[in-house]
Amino acid sequence: MRAMVIDDSRAMRMILKRIVEKLNFEAVEAGDGREALDRLEEMSEVPELALIDWNMPNMNGLEFVTHVRADPRLREMTLVMVTTESEQSQIVRALAAGAHEYVIKPFTEGAMIEKLALLGLVPTGVNS
Amino acid sequence: MSVEVEVNENDLAEMVEQVWSSYLDPEGLNPLIPTYDQNQPSEVHSSVSITGSWTGHVVYASSTLAANRAAAAFLAMEVDEVSVDDMSDVLGELANIIGGNVKAMLPPGALLSLPQVVLAPENTTIYPTAVRISGVYGIWDGEPVSISMWHSRSDNKEVDE
Repeated sequence: MRAMVIDDSRAMRMILKRIVEKLNFEAVEAGDGREALDRLEEMSEVPELALIDWNMPNMNGLEFVTHVRADPRLREMTLVMVTTESEQSQIVRALAAGAHEYVIKPFTEGAMIEKLALLGLVPTGVNS
Repeated sequence: MSVEVEVNENDLAEMVEQVWSSYLDPEGLNPLIPTYDQNQPSEVHSSVSITGSWTGHVVYASSTLAANRAAAAFLAMEVDEVSVDDMSDVLGELANIIGGNVKAMLPPGALLSLPQVVLAPENTTIYPTAVRISGVYGIWDGEPVSISMWHSRSDNKEVDE
């Protein structure tokens, strides 16, 4: 299984990468939405999961979600926003655009794994 | 029209505690110990600006060693392996996380900028027309760290009017 980690902060990508690798995902990194779309275009197999920051240069997370949802090839990807944008209106916008879940920074490893478990993305036996 | 906002020291302290327990001190061994000294020294700082329904800045400042330790904690590496790029990246993300949570407490319509990082003391950056309205000042593992919130004075003026 593959997970795409999209964040302009390398440190945050590292944190998310550690978590998804713990869940037996192979992590693919991108520094913004545009780079993520470029990488997805090159991939023969679409990742099962994308963890997406909102505020990024070039293409933000909401724009990325909108692009993904408009592309039939990427329809099966589970999209999780991971962001400091914690207002109710922003959460509603992201979910309306097609995100499946919303995680607010700062988050603990356990909280992130619990969210992914709710989406059925945590293999049996992995302890959150 | 601008709106009066109350994000006080307790609110900031709560956000800071969440950042520490999530990333910098998940074991709860090295909390930020308050000094209440808004003039404590710094060597590096980062900030995000907020515009819209409220205008101002959220600033994270620390010693270089504290910034390197923060980067080491985020990146799961030894402090002596941390590069300047690593430290800058983590300083920016800390300002982004705290600034984003401050923004959530503001009236709707506020926008958050991308972070800015300056490898120099906090007082080398001037925020024209802004005044410090609250802050959390402390020592983390023996090193100074502060988080402060600055409100644009022009915005205050509108409130007064």
